[in-house]
Amino acid sequence: MKKKAITRRDFIRVAAMTPFTGAFAYSIKAPGKKVTARKAKVVLVRNRNALISYKKPDPDIVQKMLDDAVSTLLGEEDIVKAWKKLVKPSDIVGIKSNVWGPIPTTKEIEQALKRRIMDAGVPEENIGINDRGVRRDPIFKNATVLINARPARTHHWSGIGGCIKNPIMFVPRPYDYHGDSCADLAVIWKEYNLIKRTKLNILVMLYPLFHGIGPHHYSDKYVWEYKGVLASQDPVAVDATGVRILQAQRRQFFGEERPLQPPAKHVFLADTRHNLGVSDPDKIELIKLGWKEGILI
Amino acid sequence: MGKNSKDKKITLGGLLPQEIQGWKAEEKDEIYDPQTIFDYINGAGEVYRSYNFKLLLARRFTKESQPDIIADLFDMASSMDAFGVFTHDLEGEDAGIGQGSTYKGGLLSFWKDHFFVSLYSEEETDDTKNALLALGREVSSSIKKEGKKPDIVSLLPLEDLAEKDVHYFHNHLILNYHYYVSDENILLLDQKTEAALGIYEAKDDKHYLLLVRYPEIKKASHAYESFTKIYMPEAGKSGVVQTEDLKWTAARVKKNILIIIFSASSDTYAKDILEKVSKKIIKI
Repeated sequence: MKKKAITRRDFIRVAAMTPFTGAFAYSIKAPGKKVTARKAKVVLVRNRNALISYKKPDPDIVQKMLDDAVSTLLGEEDIVKAWKKLVKPSDIVGIKSNVWGPIPTTKEIEQALKRRIMDAGVPEENIGINDRGVRRDPIFKNATVLINARPARTHHWSGIGGCIKNPIMFVPRPYDYHGDSCADLAVIWKEYNLIKRTKLNILVMLYPLFHGIGPHHYSDKYVWEYKGVLASQDPVAVDATGVRILQAQRRQFFGEERPLQPPAKHVFLADTRHNLGVSDPDKIELIKLGWKEGILI
Repeated sequence: MGKNSKDKKITLGGLLPQEIQGWKAEEKDEIYDPQTIFDYINGAGEVYRSYNFKLLLARRFTKESQPDIIADLFDMASSMDAFGVFTHDLEGEDAGIGQGSTYKGGLLSFWKDHFFVSLYSEEETDDTKNALLALGREVSSSIKKEGKKPDIVSLLPLEDLAEKDVHYFHNHLILNYHYYVSDENILLLDQKTEAALGIYEAKDDKHYLLLVRYPEIKKASHAYESFTKIYMPEAGKSGVVQTEDLKWTAARVKKNILIIIFSASSDTYAKDILEKVSKKIIKI
């Protein structure tokens, strides 16, 4: 059966039913889709001292933030035992990073993750860190486990660059997924066998970008020091939470409701169209640790 | 890369200086075409492809203890598309450079003739702002000719329309960026269609006027049928409907141009605007 077009009228109808769902109309389950009772857990950790200086994370504090996030997420106080729930010594582990110049994943985050993977018994030679070269990297070609870590930022074409989008480098021609503002990015998770292999998603929010301008979609003016990390085993839940924080920052900065342009529809469609995870805040258990000032959520 | 591309690179490169206020050009320029642009600017590459761009030359300028300056010079092949891509992102203050410009947060953009120029500093300081503006003026003066704006833009009524609220484009990806209509291409837009979107803001009222010129009258009629069938099936032959937010949407075809007003405050107002635009179309 041909897919029914979603039009602005559908959004208007939803908004007419309830004042709060207009912006999240993509959260509506597609007719005929199985509605699951899934829930997700997301941990937000913030630390006032996470940055030594502008864009320079403190490695020790970042390590502690990630440890607290993973321990809480997995309900295991001992951080090594917690990581052993994610990886085993025989695993080949790829840390899918992001090297975008103005706001990368950062070496500090990458090394903090790598350290714990090694603590859990994985030999260093079986751990790789890569972004744009994953298709040629033997570690990633043979990876049994992926750890998905990238910074949160608004994105010119997909609304937000987050954990759902991060594996796009597994795809030979990323622009094949650009249609309708990257609405169906979630399919790459199925097409490239990423769902089961990705054990942890880290959305780095140390200094996110909440608005972009120009061809490079960047200006320092729109970076703010949030000093946080979000962690979840559900890539959709972690991105949906990130979207709420970015949106709140935009509201605060611009002094008015300024929706992401284009909307981050791929995050919500990853749930409602592709069943990759949970985007509905009511179904996300959000645990907040650490610094609360300016938390925005 | 073939000889023609190489020649083009030399021509493009000649429009940019080698030095500006102490910032010196790096030895090698980078050049991208519609196939390779994603290696340089990721998702935003879709925007330039949507405007049929031919070639992009990127030159980085460096100065000790200062942020780098990046100059991106797009050859858009037509002045209409140079204007169009400029209208994609109109945030910022008018810098008075080229045939239209904006400056904001370390980014200076302008268009002139068939070129779109983006000059950007990785951090914004007083020095970088001065250098960007000086660079912009120099590039603008080295582009000798001026280009024509697309005439479909002149069909938009001017009342309550700010210059920064006009967008010109071809396809539904860009339409949806500025004003979401549908995930499917229900207006049958493509690289040969020309569209102008005006965003009208008056007291307590914001409405959108979309004009699309199709290559043939028949195509405009098909697009009208497609749009009304999917977007406003209850409108019937009237071409007017009240949507669930109590606003009005109305559509009409005049010659090869489809006119749609979204979110009008009343049906009378919507019909008046359609009539006004129709009269302008008859005259062209």
